[in-house]
Amino acid sequence: MPYDALDFYDVDSLLTEEERMVRDMVRDFVDNEVLPKIEHACRDGVFPDEWREELGNMGVLGAPLKGYGCPGLSYAAYGVICRELERGDSGLRSFASVQGSLAMYPIWDFGSEEQKNHYLPKMASGEWIGCFGLTEPDYGSNPGDMITRAEDMGDHYLLNGAKMWITNGTIAQVAVVWAKLDGVIRGFIVEKDDEGFSAPEMKGKHSLKASVTSELVFQDCKIPKDRILPGVKGLRGPFSCLNNARYGISWGAIGAAQACFDSAREYALSRIQFEHPIASYQLVQNKLSWMLREITKAQLLAFHLSQKKDAGTWIPEHISLAKMNNVDIALEIARVARDIHGANGILDEYPVMRHMANLESVKTYEGTHDIHNLILGRHITGIQAFTRSLE
Amino acid sequence: MTIAVLLKQVPDTTARITISGGVVDEAAVGKWSMSPYDEYALEYALQLKESGGADLIAITCGPARASKILTDAAAVGADSLIHVLTEDSGMDSSNVQSLLAAAIGRVGADVVLCGKQAADTNAGSTGPGVASILGFTCVGMVSEVSTDADGFIAMRMGPSGNEKVSVSKPCLFAFDKGSMEMRRPNVRGIMMAKKKAVETLTPSDLGVSLIDSRVSLESHSAPAEKPPGQKFEGASSVPTVVSKLRDEANVI
Amino acid sequence: MEVTIIAETTGDSLHPITAQLVGAACSMGGTPTVVCPGGIGSGEASSISGVNKIISAEGECFDSFDSRAWANAISPLCEGVVMSSSSAHGREVLAQIAAIRQIPVIQDATGLEGGIRITRPIYSGKAIETSVVSPPCAISVRQNSFESPGNDGDAEISTVNSSSDVGVSVREALAKANEKLDVSEADIIISGGRGMGEPSNFSHLYEIADVVGAAVGASRAAVDTWDEIPHGMQVGQTGKTVNPSLYIAVGISGAIQHLAGMRSSKYIVAINKDPDAPIFGVADYGIVSTWEEALPILKDELAKL
Repeated sequence: MPYDALDFYDVDSLLTEEERMVRDMVRDFVDNEVLPKIEHACRDGVFPDEWREELGNMGVLGAPLKGYGCPGLSYAAYGVICRELERGDSGLRSFASVQGSLAMYPIWDFGSEEQKNHYLPKMASGEWIGCFGLTEPDYGSNPGDMITRAEDMGDHYLLNGAKMWITNGTIAQVAVVWAKLDGVIRGFIVEKDDEGFSAPEMKGKHSLKASVTSELVFQDCKIPKDRILPGVKGLRGPFSCLNNARYGISWGAIGAAQACFDSAREYALSRIQFEHPIASYQLVQNKLSWMLREITKAQLLAFHLSQKKDAGTWIPEHISLAKMNNVDIALEIARVARDIHGANGILDEYPVMRHMANLESVKTYEGTHDIHNLILGRHITGIQAFTRSLE
Repeated sequence: MTIAVLLKQVPDTTARITISGGVVDEAAVGKWSMSPYDEYALEYALQLKESGGADLIAITCGPARASKILTDAAAVGADSLIHVLTEDSGMDSSNVQSLLAAAIGRVGADVVLCGKQAADTNAGSTGPGVASILGFTCVGMVSEVSTDADGFIAMRMGPSGNEKVSVSKPCLFAFDKGSMEMRRPNVRGIMMAKKKAVETLTPSDLGVSLIDSRVSLESHSAPAEKPPGQKFEGASSVPTVVSKLRDEANVI
Repeated sequence: MEVTIIAETTGDSLHPITAQLVGAACSMGGTPTVVCPGGIGSGEASSISGVNKIISAEGECFDSFDSRAWANAISPLCEGVVMSSSSAHGREVLAQIAAIRQIPVIQDATGLEGGIRITRPIYSGKAIETSVVSPPCAISVRQNSFESPGNDGDAEISTVNSSSDVGVSVREALAKANEKLDVSEADIIISGGRGMGEPSNFSHLYEIADVVGAAVGASRAAVDTWDEIPHGMQVGQTGKTVNPSLYIAVGISGAIQHLAGMRSSKYIVAINKDPDAPIFGVADYGIVSTWEEALPILKDELAKL
């Protein structure tokens, strides 16, 4: 059955024609290039290289960035791209999020003119893959206490430390790494072949299996002086990247939820029990109508946020709410969809269990569900509740 | 060289067709798309353009909504876009042929590509009819076309199998399923498409006076319900099933 | 009412649609003249019951297929209602004759009544169109929509020499490609499941596929069980979703995942030895039989068509 994207309130009619054409392009890519290969990619634990190439050919990497060979699309278009990619798989959307929002964006916003000219065109075309090193083995929600250090050696910097849970790490040519220089967090561009740098892949994931997750290890890693990002100091740097990535996730999760809904509806209509399709039973209809309700709300949330993003009237808390809500409902929709599929739901014949397992990661990465609650709590009360010490 | 590709907007092949008041309810069509055989024509038109440095003009005839497929054609590389605006979507094929032939004549195209038939009417009269009006050689059931010294080489399904034929200009190629799918656009193409203007022409702009249709539509109706499934015992029933496939189902 | 029928040929003889066209013309009260392009089949045509006369149109322009040249040569021989087969080539010639003669053309009629009231499928059979047209006009007719009359006729054959400019030259006739059709492209698919017993038994499916120009598919059970059956053949939830005119399922029980990939086929034939197999629930024509018994007969019957 062809994919029938649930859009109950016709929210996509609010997009521009150009944004809808971008949607159709990515949807076609997912239908023809991603879905036929995704289960094998997951089984083998690889990110197919032809997807990188085609994302570059389509010109969707770093979607909202302008200049330096970047697409220069709206944030609404970026959101739609994330949604359509994640309808295929969260791992595919993760690849695009990391490339665009976490690796290209900091170079674009905080990099020198030379750095922008050197890296961005090749990253926009997909020739070079980027990754983003912030999280460490012992510092996840609390990145400010990171251990990784940079030392100014006069004619070069020396990096020491380790990063963990780094999407694209092993396959990346370019890593944007956050480390403390004289106690201040700074961004550094590390290249694949830099001395003292390695990026071993983390194996054994039950989630995001078609995405590469790595450690980044720096042992007296020597990098030239012109690889520091001159434009930012402190946590504002990585956090501004995360805001963009989280924005994309708030759209992406809808794609995963739509895929689960589509599969559940189709299955419920064709599965016969007690001589009738299970879709004719009230308990199943209740589940489907709940899914429709939550997806519709999530779509309206994401669309309105896109307009604020494009207008520049957003605050980070707006993004926290959307990321938290949309991933939360997508995960629950995936679980309910699995339930509707009965035992068949655990098979890789259907996308639901894959999306469910993926969304467990998505719920945690880029600010856990609980951290976003705390961000909103601080916004409401003026009291931060991340640490035990009251500031 | 100037290449014209004729495109038609039709209900997507996955769309449900409903009938209301004895006619197909176009307002109820959920999704409109470029007719699938036209997509092959467009892909090969793009290839001809790329190999020979030609000008590629996409032409459609239809109501206002149809201009969307011209923008889609621009996104993959059509150079200019002509929309022959007609509100009557059930127009007689001979009127459509006259309008398209006039539009082709206006741009001076000497090679025309189109689908072998549209996914709505399923007729296949338009391409050959346009060729006839223009006095162009007509090659149907084409799956590939490329330029040759002073003309073209086309692969077609001939009366007794696949044939490679050479054709000289001016000519029209009506595409069956092509060997290559239509390319996917990219963001750059989509952004360029926005800037390409659609030239909208009315029949009088083209100097065509429409004739009253000599075919009068009586009704559209739903196809006959398939008979309920039939089950037969034993291999001896195979000949019965084969004859039903031929006479009842009409699929072999 | 004058009717001119353009004969359809295969190789050196008439295609059965030609006689069906005569049947259709007579059923609307027409007096049919049959034009035989290149003179092929004129003898055969003259024996079709009800034919008024035969025009054997001869000339070099008929040596290969150039629809414009054919239309230019045949058009002057036509009168009244011009009819042809709705084959691709029939339609192509007819549309050009209609343009030359400035008469309306209706393609792919499946029903005709005096008047002339025409029914034809549109939207790939999702709807039926009924329209009325008066002569002169051009109508192509779908194969097997009309009965052939008998062959006790003896119509007079007149020969006409035609000439016309030819713009298409055949450089190379390509041998029938021996490559296997892909299930996502084929209009007829014959699929095997684990009930085929051994992967080598798929050869029986290929033999039938060759007869009717079908693609061979497989269920996931077959693909997973046998390395010889590649994933590209898989029809179903994680394989290809297909909607051919005819889907023949052999030794496939009909798991819900398989049905998801083929349920939208226009007609489904199931061959399975288990009368309770779920595949019979979606089959238009079910045959309760082992494949060993059914397939040889199926092959012979299809070859006879």
